[in-house]
Amino acid sequence: MTNLNPVQTERLQERRNRYNRPTFIIQLVFIAVLLTIPFFFSSFRLIDVVVKVMIFTVFVASYDLLLGYGGLLSLGHSMFFGIGAYSLALVIYHAKTPAWTHFLLATGISLALSISMALVIAFFSLRVKALFFAMMTLALAEFADILAIQWYDLTKAEDGISFGLPGIFNVSWSAKSIMGAEINGRLMTYYFILVVSVILFIIMLRFIRSPVGRVLQAVRDNEPRATALGYKTFHYQIFAIVFGSSIASLAGILYAMWLRYVNPGSVLSTPIMLDVLLMVIIGGLGTLYGSIIGASFIKIAEAWLPDLQKVAQELLPNVVFAQRLAERWILYFGILFILVVFFFPRGFVGTARDIIKSRKTVAKPVEVPHD
Amino acid sequence: MMLTSSHAGTAEPTAIDLRKWGGRILSIGVWILPLIWIDPTTYATLTIAGLTMGVLLFLTASGLTVIFGLMDVLNLAHGAFFAWGAYAGFSFLNILSRKGWLDMATLGQSMGNLALVLLLALLVGGVLGLLLERVIIRKTYGNHLKQILITMGAALVMNEIIKIFWGPNDEALLVPAAFQDSWVFFNILVTKFRGVAILVGVLVYIGIQLVLQKTKLGIIVRAGVENKEIVQVMGYNIQRIFSGVFATGAALAAVGGVMFSIFNGHIYPSMGDENLIFALIVVIIGGMGSVTGSFLGALMVGLAFNYVAFLVPKLALGVNIMIMAIILLIRPRGLMGRS
Repeated sequence: MTNLNPVQTERLQERRNRYNRPTFIIQLVFIAVLLTIPFFFSSFRLIDVVVKVMIFTVFVASYDLLLGYGGLLSLGHSMFFGIGAYSLALVIYHAKTPAWTHFLLATGISLALSISMALVIAFFSLRVKALFFAMMTLALAEFADILAIQWYDLTKAEDGISFGLPGIFNVSWSAKSIMGAEINGRLMTYYFILVVSVILFIIMLRFIRSPVGRVLQAVRDNEPRATALGYKTFHYQIFAIVFGSSIASLAGILYAMWLRYVNPGSVLSTPIMLDVLLMVIIGGLGTLYGSIIGASFIKIAEAWLPDLQKVAQELLPNVVFAQRLAERWILYFGILFILVVFFFPRGFVGTARDIIKSRKTVAKPVEVPHD
Repeated sequence: MMLTSSHAGTAEPTAIDLRKWGGRILSIGVWILPLIWIDPTTYATLTIAGLTMGVLLFLTASGLTVIFGLMDVLNLAHGAFFAWGAYAGFSFLNILSRKGWLDMATLGQSMGNLALVLLLALLVGGVLGLLLERVIIRKTYGNHLKQILITMGAALVMNEIIKIFWGPNDEALLVPAAFQDSWVFFNILVTKFRGVAILVGVLVYIGIQLVLQKTKLGIIVRAGVENKEIVQVMGYNIQRIFSGVFATGAALAAVGGVMFSIFNGHIYPSMGDENLIFALIVVIIGGMGSVTGSFLGALMVGLAFNYVAFLVPKLALGVNIMIMAIILLIRPRGLMGRS
């Protein structure tokens, strides 16, 4: 015990208390709610939104690793998502009959592709300047989108690919109903996605607390100093890019599993990148938990905002301009985005943490005179 | 940051020469190489098409590169100015056609119409640019992340507003009558508009160069690219210069939008974003902050796109990325980029 430094003792304490903290209980309750949702609500729309929120939480969190923890602004993260989604779709589509091995094959292909792409991007762009990274990734992501649209023989372009899943994930699979809920392929897919995304999220939480993650944050905060301390900052940044991109491609596989259909517009295009940026900014950069808030907010809004259009049509049937205003709900996201970047740059979770922290520091001086 | 720059300084002189010449050889090779596979007449037509596309790209890229060089702002809303220019031009051309001006068939009259439309686009782009700089971008100087996010958000909002006013669909553009004819030199067909576009592009390039090299304003801007603080110390209002440069860049992008939409014959809301990608590639190839670099880069991209579109149509859109990768391998800072 004696040769532990203060940081180590603090971490040890953190480790001991990790099951007693309120956050742990909240996490458990959260997972329990997700586990039981399909039994209480049979609405497909709700389940669909929940699954999309889970997948996008993982995707956004992987983006947060790059942007919030690494300080690396990538505008091509959707490319990795698309790589994952397309590898599952293409493997199953070109093999005709779906089999279990296809999952492994797709995972392998997507990981190999995304790791090599991430390495190429990192080596090309990080050599020069941080802004370069943003431009390069944007250009490459656009290129991937174009490739998917142009290469008809492989990807079926805008028509997209629909495919079936093997075994218990198949739509036609169903077993006896338990407690009133029907056990079918959709439900199994739901649980599979839930388990995998929780695992991926835990891996990411672990990553930011690992020595590598801590160095990464140091590089973000003060690169010259991290260099001076003897860390090869370039290596850590490359590792973060590769790691974040791999997780994004795994999230892409999950997304393809749920949709059973891919086309460039749904998994690869710039609107997805915009969505992810919105989510990460609204949730809070460098918080990881913010991705849950951001993804929920945007996905729920996306699911129910189009109803606004119907309302507008009913209320103002003859005013085309009002209908167009209601139709373009992305406009409001854009305005919200600008406002959040301006006034709450730390996002929802970051701002909430600031408020809690400031309350604690305000409370202290009051206590001190009594002592 | 400091470490990388010192590395560049200590590189061996032979390596620097190789990099310099590699870039030059590549930029000449891109002109000559296609002659192996394409017969000369087609080659000439393709070259003219490529040059047209190149100068049109330059119109957007020039603003982007100067804004980046002077203000250190990566303006992702640049594509939105492009689209706004195109849509403003579209509406104005409609008005002109209702007056019957577009049907006048002489080249002079068409040029006059074009000049009017371009003037309007300049105005729209300039005002929008000024507004965006004053209201939003001014508050984010020095914070790259915030800038990129803000300009991205601004682009999103501006594109959505286009969809509200003009609708989300493709619209066909009315083109001044004389531009649809063409000249014939030695069996080579040159659409008149292409000639005009090349002329406009080259004039804009010469104009920018003259302003930057010969006027006092240009000297201040160039000095600002080198060192902002010293310019401020000398007593110049750098804020005002920033606004001016930003508005000019936006206006040029809007002009580019009009020219491009006449070139293509139709407009659509996402045209700005697509063009922004091209312009970004051009700026990366040319070296960020260099006008001449982006001119060369734009011509290179335009030519390569047309040659490859003729030879291997499927590769056309990917060839730009390939050129960018090759250039970056040889010269990590672009053709004319400085460390």
